[in-house]
Amino acid sequence: MPYIYNIIKADYLQRTRSYSFLITLAITVYAAYSFVPPDTANYTTLSASGYRGVYNSAWVGYVFAIMTTVMLSFCGFLLVNSGIKKDIDTEVGLIIATTPISNFKYLLCKQLSNYLVLITIAGCTFSVSLVLFFIRGEGHPFIISDFILPYLFFAVPALFMVAALAVVAEVFLGKRSILQYIIYFFLFGIAMSAITQSGKNTTGAFDPFGLSLVTKSITAQINTQFHESVKNVSFGFIFNGHRKYKPFVWAGISWSAVFVFSRVLWMAFGLGLVYCASLFFHRFDFKQASAKKKTKPAKQPTEANKLTINPAGITREAMPPLVFNYGISPFIKTELLLLVRQGNKWLWLLNAGLWVAMFIAPLTIAYSYLLPILLFLQVTRWSDLVTKEKNNRVHYFAYASYKPLLRMLPAQILAGVTLALALALPVIMRNALLLNGAAILNIINGCVLIVLLAATLGILSGGKKLFEVVFFMLTYAVINKLDITDYLGSMPHSSVYLVVVLSINTALLGAGFMVRNYQVKHL
Amino acid sequence: MALSITNLSKQYNHQKTALSSFTININKGILGLLGPNGAGKSTLMKLIATISKPTTGTLLLDGTDIVQHPDAIRKVLGYLPQDFGVYPNLNAYEFLEYIAAMKGVGGKGLRKRIDILLEGVNLTADAKRPIGTYSGGMKQRIGIAQALLNDPKVLIFDEPTVGLDPEERMRFRQLIADLAQDCVIILSSHIVSDIETIADEVAIMQGGKLITKGYQQDIIKQADGRIFETFLDNAALTEFKGRYKVIDTARQNDRIKTRYISTQAAAAPSSAPIKATLEDAYLFLTQNNA
Repeated sequence: MPYIYNIIKADYLQRTRSYSFLITLAITVYAAYSFVPPDTANYTTLSASGYRGVYNSAWVGYVFAIMTTVMLSFCGFLLVNSGIKKDIDTEVGLIIATTPISNFKYLLCKQLSNYLVLITIAGCTFSVSLVLFFIRGEGHPFIISDFILPYLFFAVPALFMVAALAVVAEVFLGKRSILQYIIYFFLFGIAMSAITQSGKNTTGAFDPFGLSLVTKSITAQINTQFHESVKNVSFGFIFNGHRKYKPFVWAGISWSAVFVFSRVLWMAFGLGLVYCASLFFHRFDFKQASAKKKTKPAKQPTEANKLTINPAGITREAMPPLVFNYGISPFIKTELLLLVRQGNKWLWLLNAGLWVAMFIAPLTIAYSYLLPILLFLQVTRWSDLVTKEKNNRVHYFAYASYKPLLRMLPAQILAGVTLALALALPVIMRNALLLNGAAILNIINGCVLIVLLAATLGILSGGKKLFEVVFFMLTYAVINKLDITDYLGSMPHSSVYLVVVLSINTALLGAGFMVRNYQVKHL
Repeated sequence: MALSITNLSKQYNHQKTALSSFTININKGILGLLGPNGAGKSTLMKLIATISKPTTGTLLLDGTDIVQHPDAIRKVLGYLPQDFGVYPNLNAYEFLEYIAAMKGVGGKGLRKRIDILLEGVNLTADAKRPIGTYSGGMKQRIGIAQALLNDPKVLIFDEPTVGLDPEERMRFRQLIADLAQDCVIILSSHIVSDIETIADEVAIMQGGKLITKGYQQDIIKQADGRIFETFLDNAALTEFKGRYKVIDTARQNDRIKTRYISTQAAAAPSSAPIKATLEDAYLFLTQNNA
């Protein structure tokens, strides 16, 4: 199997030797640093009805493993679900298709390289956990197994499954990335609900993340030690102001053989899914794949057997007088056209349905849930906004054009904002009827924020993934009513809120322009 | 219109110098750039197109420093990069309108201008289909059309004949020969015959440096007396290749007609001097400066 190793290695290096991966690691380290907050912080990451464990090895190690498992399972899918697409875009797939490698081995290589990418990120959080134990240390002894085992039994199998699902999604849903995200969103929700479900699943075997063992152990200890009836443990970034938590000593869980075996079974299930997907893999033969779906023959180019370039046809004398127009309105028009045509047409049906629903549904539902969902459904449009030149190799024209920074980038941002506001129109109109000017301002600000976030992260990273992951997490947080992430202002906020969002927008705009200014001169 | 390039250098990192103290003056007409891979042709074109900044040196267009004032050339520039792409969801009209917006070309005549260009590159019949469905040659033709949208005074074509079939190549040559009357045209190609049939002047580059620049006949003269032909048998050919730079071989009966360069004054025994071509001169000069 040495050639499989070489394929995985090459694929892994190709993905990780990029500026955007470096940014991802930097964000990971930053986020991981916040997994175990200091006492003065206004949030916590794992608590049970006002109780929080002392920062011993078990608590720090498990919190890191849980947060890594949940957060990375959530956004890791988006990070790695383009391995096959890359081979299609670069046309390396055509070369692969002619080699003797079987479909299963190819997909297995993709899954394992996905997995390595995720494990690399998990490795980063693991390193931070060790450092943070000593920074936040409360004098408890350092027990290395409390750090290693939860990563080994929670993060390692869960990320293996995520890597497998990313491959399966690419095989069956191909370029329909929005549909992939929606389905994964629901699968993730189901997996999360399995953590909190009590009942017969005492071994945690049927819980994909395996985290129910931890929640049960913590609640059992609190209930026994403090005579409480706590049922659930909350994890994630929980903002509760500067709430004082009651500390307790938690020493971790004991690992049963059944649980360990169940993790192996989950990994085997992931492999099985990849094998099933390999039976349906297109092997880069899209004509055959599309022929199965369409009965109508594809339209052939009409260039055959006719004159090609007609030099006599292009003479300066024949051309109408040259009229210069350095305005940006033609740009905006085409940028809007590109935004609208990006992605699958069927998505517009869903967009239209949600758009109409925002007129009919109660305003709070429309504002708090439907609008963020509708905006998220356009994630590939936003992420394409300023990255499409490079992805389509049109940047040579774009950067050599007249004042690209002052004409093209503003046009792209304006087109994005126009589309966002058009999508938000029902909620804007309903707030206008209620004379709620603050809400309208918040929505406009929020729409601008998303477009600027897409533009700036796209310019900084040179790719789409970073924004897509950030927006995915942002939307999840908004729907779960995490008020700090409420970019559309649907929850009650102080008057400072508008200024904060405006400041973020200004900073994003400035950063985007500065970096693009450098890029247009340094191809 | 004239381009004056003085001591131009481009260093990407400590190891890689793409262009080194490059000096050249380019006037109206067609300048063909020849050079092996990595010679710095594309880098030079990117610097002139202002999408890359030189490490040192000056680039003047009619006396205006285009490094400091890139818009001076961008208004009159037509650029066809080597590895360009298109927006697959747009049709030819929409794409050219978009490029026109980039170039600041508008007004009522724009549609007619696009019509003429599409007619000229024979894409009128396919103009309303998404460009994503075009063949490689059709995409290359849309690239040529976009370069001509703004009546450019400086035209840069980086490997423009890639993807074009022989007939398209011939027509392309005619097209730019017509346009060259009041334009500075810089054209790079690996295909020496393309340069030979179209360029007024030729510049040969190697390792980021200019080896020579001049009219074709002057460049060919530099190889005069260095190109020979001899007949060898199979066994002798391998040993011969170790001593001389073999340009071409052709089997004739049981012997191999061998065309080669002799860098020394003395040629191999039984050799006859022959008239050099631009390709011979190119190979002679690049080998001599390796």
